[in-house]
Amino acid sequence: MIQTLTHETPVLVQGITGRMGRSHTRLMQAYGTRIVGGVSAQPDKAGVDGVHVFGDCRSAVAATGAAVSIVMLPPFQVRQAVDDALSAGIRLIVTIAEGVPLHDAMHIGRMARAANALWVGPSTPGIAVPGEMKLGFLPDVALRPGPFAIMSKSGTLSYEVGYRLVRADLGQSLWVGVGGDPVKGLRFADLVDPFFSHAQTEALILIGEVGGNEEEEFADSIARHGLKKPVYAIIAGKEAKEGISMGHAGALTYGDVGSFASKVRRLQNAGVYVFETIEGLVNACVRDFASAPTRT
Amino acid sequence: MLLIEADGKKLLAAYGIPVPRGHLVTNTESVEQLPGTGPWMVKAQVPVGGRGKAGGILRCDTRESVSFATKALIGRRLKGHEVRACLVEEVSTGEERYLSVMVDPPSYGIRVIYLAGGGVDVETSAGEARSGRICSPDIHAITAAIAEIASVEPARTREVITELGRRLGQLVIERELVLAEINPLFVGAQDGWAGDAKVVVDLNALDRQPEIRALIDARPEIYLDAHRKIHEGFDYVELNPHGEIGLLTTGAGLSMMLIDELTTRGRRPLNFCDVRTSQLRGNPQRLLRVLGWMAERPSLRVVFVNIFAGITDLREFAGLLAAALDGTPDLHVPVVARLVGNGAEGARQILAERRPDVFVEESMETALDRVTATTAGIVQ
Repeated sequence: MIQTLTHETPVLVQGITGRMGRSHTRLMQAYGTRIVGGVSAQPDKAGVDGVHVFGDCRSAVAATGAAVSIVMLPPFQVRQAVDDALSAGIRLIVTIAEGVPLHDAMHIGRMARAANALWVGPSTPGIAVPGEMKLGFLPDVALRPGPFAIMSKSGTLSYEVGYRLVRADLGQSLWVGVGGDPVKGLRFADLVDPFFSHAQTEALILIGEVGGNEEEEFADSIARHGLKKPVYAIIAGKEAKEGISMGHAGALTYGDVGSFASKVRRLQNAGVYVFETIEGLVNACVRDFASAPTRT
Repeated sequence: MLLIEADGKKLLAAYGIPVPRGHLVTNTESVEQLPGTGPWMVKAQVPVGGRGKAGGILRCDTRESVSFATKALIGRRLKGHEVRACLVEEVSTGEERYLSVMVDPPSYGIRVIYLAGGGVDVETSAGEARSGRICSPDIHAITAAIAEIASVEPARTREVITELGRRLGQLVIERELVLAEINPLFVGAQDGWAGDAKVVVDLNALDRQPEIRALIDARPEIYLDAHRKIHEGFDYVELNPHGEIGLLTTGAGLSMMLIDELTTRGRRPLNFCDVRTSQLRGNPQRLLRVLGWMAERPSLRVVFVNIFAGITDLREFAGLLAAALDGTPDLHVPVVARLVGNGAEGARQILAERRPDVFVEESMETALDRVTATTAGIVQ
């Protein structure tokens, strides 16, 4: 569904009357996202920047036909907001909040799966189809249409990579921030098929972190699908100490599980190019694609 | 976040899972109140697995040797963590098993593992961690799963394991834990008890888990990083008290990557930092805190500021950085600021006027080169 998003896709903002909701609605609109409605527990009759505000997703969906929503609410309110969106028939939900309790995330995941809907988040800067629209706050300065589909656990590390691609006159076909939490919606492995089958995508960039098994699952998925497009990867946290979480709840290693060495080995065995530095990753992308025509 | 064993056992005991009588020694002088008559196990209380193999668990037959062991362990660094306390328990004897209940991210369920063999190697084995049964996150499903995998045991042992597993599952669900592991789980003729406790809590749930919050609040020295996160609202983790490079950075992934890249270049970063520039809101307080912590370290040679401003206005940040540097007179090292994104040019001008001593860089590679050269003693 992510690969079909365009500037015409109607989008709801849940939590639109909050500080973040207001400012990011404006920024998303400025990038080209078509925001057709907002949802708030205290509906603002006047609307926010010309966007009508509804009391719940059901009435918002009935009035606008939206099938996509972005949740801009504090972490303890996310579970209820996703429940509201799913029961209104929303098919793609992005939740950006950091700090969603793990057990809430587990229940959100179960709800989304039962409803056959896609969930992206939590703790993510969002997703983007550069040149078309974005859901969340991926920085415009790092977005440009181009050949690379990015998947990342980290926001800032992906901005750095995206920005350097833009500086080299390259760019991205799709960009999905899966987020740094262990329990989440879309995972790296879920993106193998959509990215491989996406016509505008010529190569994949995976920006991983120590902790969890997502990079290993991704490698297994590549083994099943075959390496249909080149994959460039970087893994942060090589120097992370066992048992110490650095910022991201998911970036926690115990013993050999989720370790840097395990991820690099599995990815390399699957044919993925793994780099030790940002510079190394970007230079390889530039070397291999700088002369290729950019499809937009 | 992993709790120390003593706190993990408090949670187990609160849910009716027996634990050995123990005494927590934080002061190397006070070993009089030992449980029972010995022999004892002296266990370093650090939040990391594999303590035994790393020399953090010692068997002692006499009170004198307990005293010797605690003196030897407290203050030592074990797998990167300073030992601030030892748990002293009577030695347990019995058959050893392994039992754990944990959140399983890909299935949105609970994974239950029971191994009749027990053993210290299980926690480091990725293969074993993927075994067991996956069930839905409710106590009936967890109990049924444990009863099923414990069916290899004789009837009485199976009953004991199933009941302990039910209690462990209830603990995981009600206290919103990431993981609760008992290894070894001792099994006697009529009962079972936890030889160790590995409990990982979810810091995101603390505001509705007062019991867990209280455990963390009670030990500010041991749970230093969690304390900082709770009370300061952002992440700052000291990695090496003898580090040379203070990182004032935003974004967890990028900060981790900078640590990796600097280490690859042979340098010693002091800390991890995700200061969250979007939350500063015109106040330099967080920057003052970070610079103050760095200034306390005599080994500090350079401060590396790296901000990628997607939304934040770097002009505002530059003003706050200048104010924070002015407010940290004890900081006597060069500052390299790599600023990129919104308002970068204006930020450069602000720093040129207010703090011309700050090296402002646009490229990360150039900034890394300057930081590396500064710590290597090469004057540029």
